[in-house]
Amino acid sequence: MNVDYLQLLKLLAPECVVVLTVLAVLLADLQLWRNWSVSARSFGAASVLTLGFGAAAGLLIWKRAVTADLLGGSLVLTPVSQHVKLALLGLAVVTAWLCTEGKFTQHVGEFMALIALATTGMMLLVSTENLLLVFVALELVSLSLYVLTAFNKGSARSAEAALKYFLFGGMAAAFMLFGFSFLYGLTGSIHLPIIAAKISWQAADPLTLVAIVFVVVGFGFKIAAVPFHLWAPDAYEGAPASAAAFIASGSKVASFFILGKLLQVGLPGVAGSGAWKALAPGWMAVIAILATASMVFGNLAALAQSSLRRLLAYSAIAHAGYALLGLIGGSQSALLYYAITYAVTSMGVFGVVAVMENRAGSESVVGLAGLRERSPLLAGVLTVFVLSLAGIPPLAGFFGKFYVFIAAAKQGEGLGYWWLVALALAASCVSLYYYLQVLKQVWVVPSERPGQGGVAGGIVVSGLLVVLAVVVVALGCAPELLLRFLK
Amino acid sequence: MTPLAAYLLVSALLFAIGFAGALTRRNSILVLVGVELMLNAANLNFLAFWRYGPNPEALTGVMFVLFAIAVAAAEAAVGLALIIAIYRHYCSSNVEDVATMKG
Repeated sequence: MNVDYLQLLKLLAPECVVVLTVLAVLLADLQLWRNWSVSARSFGAASVLTLGFGAAAGLLIWKRAVTADLLGGSLVLTPVSQHVKLALLGLAVVTAWLCTEGKFTQHVGEFMALIALATTGMMLLVSTENLLLVFVALELVSLSLYVLTAFNKGSARSAEAALKYFLFGGMAAAFMLFGFSFLYGLTGSIHLPIIAAKISWQAADPLTLVAIVFVVVGFGFKIAAVPFHLWAPDAYEGAPASAAAFIASGSKVASFFILGKLLQVGLPGVAGSGAWKALAPGWMAVIAILATASMVFGNLAALAQSSLRRLLAYSAIAHAGYALLGLIGGSQSALLYYAITYAVTSMGVFGVVAVMENRAGSESVVGLAGLRERSPLLAGVLTVFVLSLAGIPPLAGFFGKFYVFIAAAKQGEGLGYWWLVALALAASCVSLYYYLQVLKQVWVVPSERPGQGGVAGGIVVSGLLVVLAVVVVALGCAPELLLRFLK
Repeated sequence: MTPLAAYLLVSALLFAIGFAGALTRRNSILVLVGVELMLNAANLNFLAFWRYGPNPEALTGVMFVLFAIAVAAAEAAVGLALIIAIYRHYCSSNVEDVATMKG
């Protein structure tokens, strides 16, 4: 096979710049700035990472109209994948600056380097249609995130969260690899378009169903869908706030992108159906079951939580369920709009959590009491984020839900997936209860100790939170701003 | 039974043993061993499908296995590091002792 390496290098330039950023951050932090204080080093490392990612984003914008398919599907670039990569870079930069809020580690250089490595994995994940590269990139993301979760060495909960995340993740990776091996065996290829051409129910084979189920198990873990969600609440609770924010945002966007591509590009012949009274074996039915379980269980479990982080974890599980509706609807733009706006919103909430933990030492929902007086800024942005998660118009979360619900409702004939949409609407109503509980603490309940000092994050983090809130409002008022880049 | 079917049977058995081990063992190192068995079952599948597949000239299966072995090694390294971190806090590597977070 003749390979044009120069062409390959040109197309992979953004990823190369991100990897070089890893080295630059490590060099600066471990060598040049050894004698600086921790907070100076964390600002320095975040700045280097921002510069590097800015350069990578510049390369992406420069080449954003590119359409390429190299090495028989190993590197597939489309304008949509370039835009998703831009979103991933943005989320990683926000994560890096969140890390400056919180003093959980001396080793900020390594922390930033791992964030950048995970970003590399995510960027590769959205630009391939090759099962081998999907597996390797997904493991690069996962291994980086396990270590990021354990990064608070002084905290037993951080280590516990990482171990649970790792053990479930390892099993999920094994399931996925086993599923991939059957896909390879059934088709003799690991390229998604070739797999799509060869696999269908005409050559009915129970192995096909095994392959589908195993692959969905592997990805169900990554997106934290019930019943593969068991790691999520613990990982969200124990991990450093910035690591948890990255798990909840960047990793979700990349995983939903590749899951959608794998099922819709690689396995369209075995979609089956989960429509009303027309159940047929295939991944649609499996995804419909996962979506149902995630929406019901996630929302009901979130009702009982007193820790803000665990509440977010269960709400993330419920949101994974809603997003799966976009997958069933077969609309890539709706799914990506949902995943990206959700990622921005949850990044914002975790930013508020980071500030609250660092400055006020509280992580419970009750600890938010009286935030209206203690910090009007935090109260304001948290309200925007939480209302967006709840799906209140005119915020981004509303249109995210709107598009995935419409996509699912249009799918199939007759009643089709209306049962799933109705269930999703009911689940959204349930979720209002716990989201409004959070806002009640912020706006209505007075502070436990009157005269308690104010809370204020660092200037950069406060600025970023305002920017994220503005993005959420802007994308809600004008969804086309983002949507046209995803079509 | 064709050789391919025999290999698939062995690998399915290996996967089941690994999964059972990962679910029932209490020592986290042995859980890790179970996960490694599951990964190796998938590797055996790849090799069998490659060897008895329609075109063994293309080295797709072998290549996949080489990468999977490397990834599994990296995963074991990260896993053992995490188990050391756990041991420092809990003085135990038993997964039942490591359960302070619930809900």
